[in-house]
Amino acid sequence: MNAWLQAAAVLVTGAGLVSAAAAHRLTGDVRRALAVLLDFLTAAGLVRLAGAPSWDGILAAAAVIALRRLIGSGLAVSRAAP
Amino acid sequence: MIVSVELLPESTLREAISLLVRLVESAGALIIFIGAGWAFVQFVKAGLRRRDRVAGFNRIRLSLGRFLVLGLEFQLAGDVLRTAVAPSFTEIGQLAAIAAIRTALNYFLGREIAQERAELARGGDPLERPVGGKPS
Repeated sequence: MNAWLQAAAVLVTGAGLVSAAAAHRLTGDVRRALAVLLDFLTAAGLVRLAGAPSWDGILAAAAVIALRRLIGSGLAVSRAAP
Repeated sequence: MIVSVELLPESTLREAISLLVRLVESAGALIIFIGAGWAFVQFVKAGLRRRDRVAGFNRIRLSLGRFLVLGLEFQLAGDVLRTAVAPSFTEIGQLAAIAAIRTALNYFLGREIAQERAELARGGDPLERPVGGKPS
């Protein structure tokens, strides 16, 4: 099952890259495109966690999710800045 | 003489729970995968059409967030099932770490969805809100 989950996670990551490009074309804003990419990366991390993950897998998923929060907060700060 | 009848041997219980956990977690992963696929198709379609730009973009992101939360609920249900058998301290530690990640993510996603939904209902742009999620 792990091989399937890995393949699905890679597919979701690829879909995230294409969707981020589409979001950039749609809105013309890099921050929004980045937010979409981070959503997809989170989805990929969650799919990867569904199997029987090792400590490395758990740490990688935690790092992606923490990074997502960090970048999200950074984007909010940059939007609020004059 | 003591006659003991084992109605449900531990090994059978472990196998049954393992099967259930796999089913529930697969369902969660499938929901997340379907949500990502759906959002991908919608983003590509919206990107090609370039109509109703920001509103369409926000609707798609909101739906993707809902799919993620639903998938996470299934995966958390799998974690709860796993606690029925606790084979080793290593596995208990891994389970605790995964459950903590999923619970935190579920909380943050739920909060983001509620904020974006409130902004959409007000007719504003959720991506333009200042720090702290409060509307200007």
